Amino acid sequence: MKSFSCFDAPARSLPARLAWVLAACGVATLLAWPYRDLLDPANTAMLYVLAVAVVAVRAGKGAAIAAALLGTVLLDFFFIYPHFTFTISDTQHLVTLAVMLAVALLIGNLTLVLQREMASAQERERQTRALYLLASQLAGAATLAQVNELTRRFLHDTQECDSLLLIRQGEELLPVSKGASTPKGKPGYAAQSALHLGAAQATLDDSSQWLFLPLRGSTYTRGVLALWSSGRLLGDARRPLFEAIAALVAASVERLHFVEMAQRAQLQMTDERLRSSILSALSHDIRTPLTVLYGTAEKLAQSTLPLAAHEMAEAMRQQTMRLSSVVSNLLDMARLRAGDIKLNLEWQPVEEVIGASIKLLGPVLAQHPVQVQLPTDMPLLRFDSVLMERVLCNLLENAAKYAPPGSFIRITARTDRKTAHLAVRNEGSQFPPDKLEMMFELFERGDSESNVPGVGLGLAICKAIVLAHGGTIHADNDDGACVTITLPLGEPPLIEPEPEHA
Amino acid sequence: MREPCILVIEDEAQIRRLVRSALEEAGHRVLESGSLKEGMAQLHAANVQLLILDLGLPDGDGIAFIRELRTQFALPVLVLSARTTEGEKIRALDAGADDYLTKPYSTGELLARVRAQFRRNPQEQAATETCTRFGDVAVDLAHRSVTRGDSTVHLTPIEYRLLCAMLAEPGKVLTYRHLLHAVWGKSYGESNHYLRIYVSRLRQKLERDPAQPEHFLTETGVGYRFQI
Repeated sequence: MKSFSCFDAPARSLPARLAWVLAACGVATLLAWPYRDLLDPANTAMLYVLAVAVVAVRAGKGAAIAAALLGTVLLDFFFIYPHFTFTISDTQHLVTLAVMLAVALLIGNLTLVLQREMASAQERERQTRALYLLASQLAGAATLAQVNELTRRFLHDTQECDSLLLIRQGEELLPVSKGASTPKGKPGYAAQSALHLGAAQATLDDSSQWLFLPLRGSTYTRGVLALWSSGRLLGDARRPLFEAIAALVAASVERLHFVEMAQRAQLQMTDERLRSSILSALSHDIRTPLTVLYGTAEKLAQSTLPLAAHEMAEAMRQQTMRLSSVVSNLLDMARLRAGDIKLNLEWQPVEEVIGASIKLLGPVLAQHPVQVQLPTDMPLLRFDSVLMERVLCNLLENAAKYAPPGSFIRITARTDRKTAHLAVRNEGSQFPPDKLEMMFELFERGDSESNVPGVGLGLAICKAIVLAHGGTIHADNDDGACVTITLPLGEPPLIEPEPEHA
Repeated sequence: MREPCILVIEDEAQIRRLVRSALEEAGHRVLESGSLKEGMAQLHAANVQLLILDLGLPDGDGIAFIRELRTQFALPVLVLSARTTEGEKIRALDAGADDYLTKPYSTGELLARVRAQFRRNPQEQAATETCTRFGDVAVDLAHRSVTRGDSTVHLTPIEYRLLCAMLAEPGKVLTYRHLLHAVWGKSYGESNHYLRIYVSRLRQKLERDPAQPEHFLTETGVGYRFQI
């Protein structure tokens, strides 16, 4: 609804303003004329003051002054004795004239100020409403392209300038819409400055004026909103509006970023769940027949059979166990290769996982006494115990496989400033010197023609696990073969000393 | 009195037969069941002293079964499963299982675990007996004294509480959570490293070779087991 008030915009054109002057003064004269003998001229002057006030409001300051002058003349001519002359007999009428002029100026000025304030309040309200509209549209945007398009349309329709959303990719700014390209030259430089300084940057080139507004997110600047126009844009009073728009866009960009992250996490979770259920089904389906095979072979080997048959049963039992360990390695490798391994990192004494590995291998190490030599002040290390057990088992099994029966296997540890070194060495055959680096690649074996069974999976898994822990693994030769793994020391948690009498 | 026996719940007939023959050769009486439903019926009908349970049965979730069973029976439960992840083991143990053996298993290991369960089963006896011996260590619960060979071993209060918690259930796999609650209380639920440090101290004081323990065994990723 159009509001009507005395502070509406005044008439602008000259004829209109003149008409207001003539009409107001004319009406005042006609109204007062019948009572010219009853009213004192000072009171009649009040009518003219009213006319001047009306003109000031409706037609502006200049018209009000004109009305004041005309009113004075009319008053003098029609109402001040002697009538129908311009002679002023009484000097007090000069006061009337002066007051009317002053009132005209005063009201004219006041009206002007009020009208200006009114106009700016209305403009502010319009901007607020527009921003609210943009905000509600952006809230529904599902992609960066939509954010870009909504902002572009909004700025084009309401502010007569073009815009482009530039999103940060590392140190670069990339446009969101496909056809567009990132500004080059001076504007490009300004865009980069806006990104890195986090403050608005303005510049101009041959055809346009440019304004670059950083899109500040909660953690870092997520991009830049570029505005350009052939018209006026720099040093504009609209800067606060533009910054408000940039803030809205930044909030949307950030919201989309978090939505994307959440979706990605969700997808990854579903993916992982599927993968892990396939792997565990596979594991179950392989282990069940292996269990039957192993149990049967074991039972056969224990029964009274001719020596040859007994040996066969025993071989079957051993090979089944080996197959089972290969399957475990393969499934582990599949899990490791399938993507990010979730490490269950905990601070623990390395001694414990060594003991557990030796115990787990049991009969495999029957021919090889294991010596463990750890420094007495060995700190806690942070690792996934299950995976580290797999590493040590593989290393110990390897060490046993390639060493003569009865020889020792040694596990030693030392620490330097930042790293713990853990070595497993045997007194057996050495690694081929030219292949030391390649030992840990998938399906690589020291001697490819060797008759010792194994597929070279073990060391590859060790490497994958150790790397995932931020450590290293390498092979070398001394008296026998030696594999050393390193793990970062980090800062172990403090264990409060226990009070003696609790 | 009905004759004591071991119940094997396992859906693979061949594995069931292997387990059965191994147990029978060791002198146990064995009942078999191919499903959880049938197994539950047998638990009610017979004098079952040990349950050997596969987790992946066609008619239900083995872990839920353990939980249900625990509301009525106190018998030891040995899980025999192809599920090898530590998460599964912990879930089964927290539900109330006593031990966990993964397939493929060796008969020797199976029989050793069964023996361990039977050894600890007569609980009344354990409660009245105040002295426990393992290796060259003797623990006198009445006098709170621990001796190794001829000399007294000094344990701190926490070490002693941990020792008691482990001695109370020999042969049973005790999860980190269980031990932390038993020794430190519920607020230490996530402080596995405390537990590890104290187990390592017990080993230093009571094991012949702390790096290759014989009594305070590690169940990697799951917890510990005390073995006499």
